[in-house]
Amino acid sequence: MHEISLVRNIFSTLEHEFPERMDKVRGIYLTVGLLTNLHPLLMQSAFDAVLLDEPRYNKTSLHVKVLPIKIKCAACGAETEVQQYKFICAECKTPGNQVIQGEEMLITQVEFEDTE
Amino acid sequence: MSQPKSNRAPVGSVQCENTTLNLLKANDFVAKAIRDRLAPHDILVLNICSSPGSGKTTLLQETGRRLKDTLKMGVLVGDPETERDAIRIREAGIDCLQIVTGGMCHIEAQMVLQGLDHFNYEGLDVLFIENVGNLVCPAAFDLGEDYRVTLISSTEGDDKPKKYPRMFLTSELMLVSKADLLPYVPFSVEAVTQDAKDINPDLEVIAISSLNGAGMNEWCKWLEQKVAEKKKAGIEA
Ligand SMILES: Nc1nc2c(ncn2[C@@H]2O[C@H](COP(=O)(O)OP(=O)(O)O)[C@@H](O)[C@H]2O)c(=O)[nH]1
Ligand SMILES: [Mg+2]
Ligand SMILES: [Zn+2]
Repeated sequence: MHEISLVRNIFSTLEHEFPERMDKVRGIYLTVGLLTNLHPLLMQSAFDAVLLDEPRYNKTSLHVKVLPIKIKCAACGAETEVQQYKFICAECKTPGNQVIQGEEMLITQVEFEDTE
Repeated sequence: MSQPKSNRAPVGSVQCENTTLNLLKANDFVAKAIRDRLAPHDILVLNICSSPGSGKTTLLQETGRRLKDTLKMGVLVGDPETERDAIRIREAGIDCLQIVTGGMCHIEAQMVLQGLDHFNYEGLDVLFIENVGNLVCPAAFDLGEDYRVTLISSTEGDDKPKKYPRMFLTSELMLVSKADLLPYVPFSVEAVTQDAKDINPDLEVIAISSLNGAGMNEWCKWLEQKVAEKKKAGIEA
């Protein structure tokens, strides 16, 4: 849905963070949680679409890794990987909404071409 | 089309930078600016979300009619193209500013912050933000609200919490709207409540109808209580 604006967001975040090195960016690595509803394929198409407008990033590629949802149980402290959006502790069956993984939307790594 | 990926592979050696840059950081930063700006005014801010047509605008109109002598209300309404909702809300006697989202599928904090420049919020008890009709994207964008209220109407099917878990996970109140139509549609308030509480055990649920008034007292009480809590917290701070 808003993948295009997210991709633009990625570039503006990086332009802000690495203003001197943007012409050298070759790889962008994202880690996104399943709860973000961001689909790697859709992100890829959005990325390709944005590159049409931003030819200076033509040599850059995008890599998206998806993380499953994990919750921590308030009752017993166990961590559960949530399957099919059932937010229930696998150990003691207590319902819980304390999400410890799954909402990430992070740029985890950026590759720059080394010209030295 | 862009070049095939094989042509984009880096040549020569590569330098890697590990980062923890958050893609929503910019939005969260602006959301904090909204909270800071409104903090001295003790205004309860509610982010109202739902699918298109679930009854957000109608609820605000009806709430305005019922509470306009007890609460001072304002609305920022996100509408992709038209000013229709804003006109309807003003007709109910509530001050309203339209946030033109230009086809965007959600409101971002920046739009709210800009909206505040053009909206007189001084003296308000409640500021409603009517989000763009969409259960996916708005879930990710903090607008500086105190609470997120999500409507799900009896006509859209009771499977929505399972399909759009993040929205229900991040809401404090779920309003089952168009309750007047429950006798005519296959929709179980019990089942939808159970599904939503599987995702978010703390979620409160009220079934309402803006048409026949069912549940409206309970909703108005919820609202008045949250306003009172907000003011109390402001006095104590
Ligand atoms: N039967 C019934 N219809 C409603 C109710 N609330 C809203 N509607 C109708 O649902 C449609 C969409 O409502 P609107 O408030 O514009 O939805 P929004 O897109 O979420 O703002 C309109 O035709 C309303 O008249 C209700 O409580 N009961
Ligand atoms: Mg509306
Ligand atoms: Zn447990």
